[in-house]
Amino acid sequence: MSAAAQTKENYFKSANFKKKTGQTIVLIVLILGSLLILSPIWWMIATSLKDMKEIMTYPPTFIPKEWHWENYLITLQKGPFLQYTLNTLFITVFVVIGNVVANSFIAYGFAKIHFKGRNVLFACVLATMMIPGFVTLVPQYVIYAKLGWLNTYLPLILPAFFGSAFNIFLLRQFFLTIPNELIEAAKIDGANHLYIWWKIFIPLAKPAIATVAIFSFNGAWNDFLGPLLYINDESLYTLQLGLQIFKGQNDTQWNFLMAGSLMVLLPVITIFFFFQRYFIEGMNLTAGSKG
Amino acid sequence: MKTVRKTLVSLLILAISFSLILAGCSSKESGGSKSSGTKDGEKVVIDFWTFWGSETRRPIIEKIIDDFNKSQDKIEVKHTYLPWGDVWTKNLASIAAGNPADLIINDINAVGHRAQNNQNTNLAKYLEQDPEVKDRFYPELYNASLYEGDPYALPFNTDTRLMFWNKDMFEEAGLDPNTPPKTWAELEEMGKKLDVKKGDKYERIGYLPNQGIGADVWMINADGKGYWDFDAKKAIINDETNVEALTWMKNYYDYYGDKTINSFKAEFGEQTADPFVAGKLAITTDNANFFTKIRDYGDGMNFGVAPLPAMEEGSGNSSWGGGFVAEIPKGAKHPDEAWEFLKYLTDVQAQEYWAVKNFDVVANKEAAEKAAGSAEFSEEGKMVYSEAAENMKQTLLTPTPNEAPDYINLIQPEIESVLLGKKSPKEGLDAAQKAVEELVKSNKK
Amino acid sequence: MERIVINKPEITKKYKKQKASSSLQRKEGLQGYLFIAPWIIGFLFFMAGPLLFSLYGSFTNFNITSKMDFIGLDNFKKMFTNDPIIWLSLKNTLYFVVISVPLTTAGAVMLAVLLNQGIKGMRVFRTIFYLPAVLSGVGVYLLWMQLLSPSSGLVNTLLGFVGIDGPAWLTDPSWTKNALIFMKMWSVGGGMLLYLASLQGVSQSLYEAAEIDGATSFRKFFHITLPMITPVIFFDLVTSTIGAFQIFQEAYVMSESGDGGPANSLVFFNLHMWNKAFEVFDMGYAMAMSWVLFIIILVLTVFNLKIAPRWVHYEGEDRK
Repeated sequence: MSAAAQTKENYFKSANFKKKTGQTIVLIVLILGSLLILSPIWWMIATSLKDMKEIMTYPPTFIPKEWHWENYLITLQKGPFLQYTLNTLFITVFVVIGNVVANSFIAYGFAKIHFKGRNVLFACVLATMMIPGFVTLVPQYVIYAKLGWLNTYLPLILPAFFGSAFNIFLLRQFFLTIPNELIEAAKIDGANHLYIWWKIFIPLAKPAIATVAIFSFNGAWNDFLGPLLYINDESLYTLQLGLQIFKGQNDTQWNFLMAGSLMVLLPVITIFFFFQRYFIEGMNLTAGSKG
Repeated sequence: MKTVRKTLVSLLILAISFSLILAGCSSKESGGSKSSGTKDGEKVVIDFWTFWGSETRRPIIEKIIDDFNKSQDKIEVKHTYLPWGDVWTKNLASIAAGNPADLIINDINAVGHRAQNNQNTNLAKYLEQDPEVKDRFYPELYNASLYEGDPYALPFNTDTRLMFWNKDMFEEAGLDPNTPPKTWAELEEMGKKLDVKKGDKYERIGYLPNQGIGADVWMINADGKGYWDFDAKKAIINDETNVEALTWMKNYYDYYGDKTINSFKAEFGEQTADPFVAGKLAITTDNANFFTKIRDYGDGMNFGVAPLPAMEEGSGNSSWGGGFVAEIPKGAKHPDEAWEFLKYLTDVQAQEYWAVKNFDVVANKEAAEKAAGSAEFSEEGKMVYSEAAENMKQTLLTPTPNEAPDYINLIQPEIESVLLGKKSPKEGLDAAQKAVEELVKSNKK
Repeated sequence: MERIVINKPEITKKYKKQKASSSLQRKEGLQGYLFIAPWIIGFLFFMAGPLLFSLYGSFTNFNITSKMDFIGLDNFKKMFTNDPIIWLSLKNTLYFVVISVPLTTAGAVMLAVLLNQGIKGMRVFRTIFYLPAVLSGVGVYLLWMQLLSPSSGLVNTLLGFVGIDGPAWLTDPSWTKNALIFMKMWSVGGGMLLYLASLQGVSQSLYEAAEIDGATSFRKFFHITLPMITPVIFFDLVTSTIGAFQIFQEAYVMSESGDGGPANSLVFFNLHMWNKAFEVFDMGYAMAMSWVLFIIILVLTVFNLKIAPRWVHYEGEDRK
C-alpha cells in the first residue's frame, strides 16, 4: 500500500506528501483515542493484578504495588471454568450459525422479492423490537417450561434459527444497496432466488454478514439472562454465570472478577481480529486511501 | 417504505381497538403446576437455591447440606448457586411456570409481601407438628416472617447496625478512646473534634450521618418507629421525631456542605475502599459483619464497637436490621422434605457453624449466643459478635407493608431533595407522607 | 452543487430488463413467503404468545404468580392519575434518547471513517476501539463507578490535567444522566462496526468521478460517503432510538440500590417498569406501561420512516 520513495524535488507539493501528512494526523488522533479508550481497560487489568488489600486502599493505586500474576491462575481454579467455556462455546457456535443463515435468508426475502404483504410483515418485524423484554420474560419462560426445554440449551439456541428483528433489519438495509440488475442478470442465466441469495448476495454482503456474526458471537458469549433463567444444573452453566461467583452481596472479589472478565474477553477479541479480514477487502475502494 | 409506515399506523389502531374489545369482556386465568418425579432411588431429591457462590460462603453452606444428607437416608438436598439478586427473578418465573425450587433463600423484609402474592408456602401446619421450632429465633425475626398470623418462612441470618469508632483517632483528638458518643449531640460534638482539615479540604471526617445508614435508621433510632406504624397499619413518615431526625441530619450535612459530602460519598460509594477502613472516617455505623473488613484490610486498627447513640439520654438505642429467610416457594414438589431440611438449617448446630465461619449474626438465638464465645474468634471478634447479639434486643426490622409495597421509592427521592436543600425536612416528609397515603388509597381499590 | 451520478456496475449493462408476466409474479411471491417463513414460524412459535399475553395482562392485575383478574383500563388510568414517577421517568428517558442517540450516531460514523483509512496497524486500532462494545454486563458499570469518582476517579483526574474541575458524576443529580451518556460514548465501537461494514460497499468509481471534478476530501465525504451509508445510518437511528428508550441496566446498577437515585435523576421508564414488575409484583401495571412505551416508540418510528425517503438513499432499490 505504501508508495515507493519519492525523489522528485517538488516532493512537498506532491499528492504523496499530502497523503502522508493526512495519514500522520489520523494516526495521532487514533493513538490519542486509543489511549482514552484503553484507560478504563487498564484499570481492569490493574485491578486484576492487585490483592484485595490493595484494592481496598484509598486512594486507589493506578499501578499495582505488587503484581499478582497468579491471580489469573487462581481465578481459573475457583470453578470449573473449562466446562463453562465448552458450554458457552457450544451455545455460541450454534447461535452464530443460526443467526447468519436465518437472518440473511429472511432479509433477502424482505429486501429483494416482491410479494403481497411484504411491508406489512416487515413492519411487524420492526414492532417486535419495541416491546421491553421484561414483560414477555415470564410467559416465555412458561412456554419453554411447558415444552420441557428447561435445563437444556434449546431455549438459548433454537430461536436463533428463526431470525431476529435487529439482524433482519440490518441485513435488509445492506441488501437494499445491492443493485437489482444483478438479480435480473442471474435470473436470465437461469438462477433462482435460493441460488442468488447463497451465491451472490452472501458473498457481496460479506462485511455485513461478518458484522452479524460478530454481533451474535458477542451476544451469545456474553448472554447472562438466558442461561440464568433456563439452566438449572450448575454443570451446564456458562462463563457469564460462572463469573458471578466472584460477586457477592458485599464481598466482591474484584481482582478475580476482573481477571475472569478479561479472560472471557479474549476469545471475542480474537474472533473480531480474525473477522476483520472481511472489512479489509473493500478497503482500497474507500475515501481517503487513494494512492 | 410508505407501506411500512402505513402498516405501523394500522398496527397502532389495531392495538388500540383490540384493547377496547378486551376492555369489554373479562376472564380469569391461573398458573397450573405439573409434577415430575425427582426421586433418586429411595431418596427424595430437593432443590435448594441460594446466592452463596463465593469461596467464603459456598463451602460453608455445602458442608451444612452435606452433614444433613449424611444424617438421614430419606432426603438428598441438591444445592444450586444462582447470582445474587437474579436468583429471585428466576424464582418468580419458575413459580409462574409451576416448577420452582423446593427451598430458597430470600429477603426477610418482604416475606409477607410475597405471601400476599402467593409466592411462598404457609408453614403453619408444620409448626403445629413442631411447635418448639418457633422459639429458636429472635422474636423480631420470627415476627417478620409472619403474614396474617401464619409463618411463611423461617429466618436464617440477620444483621444489625452498630457504631464502630477508631480508638487511635480518639486519642489523637484528645478524646477518651474508651468512651464512645452516647447521644446524637455527643456524636456530633466528638465527630467535629475528630475532623482534620487541610486548607478547604477535609483530610478526615469525624462522622457522617449518611454513611452506611440512611435517614430511615436514624428515625427508627429516635423513637423505635420508622416510616410505618405496623400496629396502626399506616404511614407515619412525617411524625414529629422523624422530622426532628431528618432536621438533625440535614444540619449535620450542611456543616460539611454538598460538595464535601457528595465527593466523599462518591469516592467510597463503591464496594471497594471503605472510608473507615482507609482511615478517612473516625466513626462509622455499619453491620456487625463490617468487622471482617476491619480485620482483613484495617492493618490491625484499634477500634471499639457500641450500639447506635440515642437521640437524647434515655430515648433508647434502637437499631435496624435486615436479613434472609429460607422459604418453600409456592408449588414446590416436596414441601414436606423441604421442611425437614429447613428445620435442620435453622437448628443450633448448622446455625452456629454458619455464624462462626461467616461472622454472620444468625437467627437462632442460642446459636448466636454460643457463637459469641466461640474459640474460633479473636478477642476482637468475640467483642463485636457479643455486642451484635446483645444489640438484637433493640434491633427492629421493617417488613414491607402490604398496603404500600413500594413506599420507599416515594420516600427516598424526597429525603434526597431535602438533603440537597430543595425542600425543608418538614416539607419533604409531608410530601412523602401524602404520596404514600395516595399509594395506599389506590392500592385499596 | 451538482449531484454525483451513480455508475451502475459493469455487469448490468450486458442485460436488459425483462418484464415479468403475472404467473411469474405469483411464483415470485411464493418464493418470497418461503424466504420469510422462518421468521413467521419463529414469531408464531416463540413470540406471538408472550406478546398477546402481555397485551391481555395489561388489562389485569396480574401479579406473576397467582392473580390475574380483569380490571379494564385501571392500569392505564392509574398511570395518568396516580403515578407521579412515571412522568419523571419519561422525562429522564427522553432526555437520554435526545442527547445520546445523535451523539453516538455521529461518533460512530466519524470513528468508522477514521478507521477506514489505509494505515498500517489499522486492525489493531479497530480492535481497540471495538473493545468497549464487547465488555458487557454489570462488571463494566461497576468499573465506571470507580472511574467516575469525583476526586480519585480516572475521568476527573484526566479532566484535571486540562484544567477542568470535573463534577461529582454519579452523586450530583444534574450530572448523572450525562455520566451515562459519557459511558455510552465510550462504547461507540459497536455502531462503528456497522458503518465500517457499509463503507466497504461504497464504490470506488464514485470517488474517481469526484476526483476528476476536483472534489476535496471534505466534499467527498458529504457528497459520496455520507449519502451512500444512509441506509445504515437510518438503521442505526431507528434501532438505537428503540434501544435508548429501553435503557435499564446502567441505571439499575449505577444508582443506589437500583432505585434510580440520586433524587430520582436516573429513574428511566424501564427502571420504573422493572420495579413495578419485580419488586412490587404489579406485573399487570408493568405490562400496561410496556404497551404505552410501545406506542411512543411506534409513533417515533413511523415518523422516522416518514422522513426517511427524503434522505435515505438505496442504490439498489427500484423506486415506484
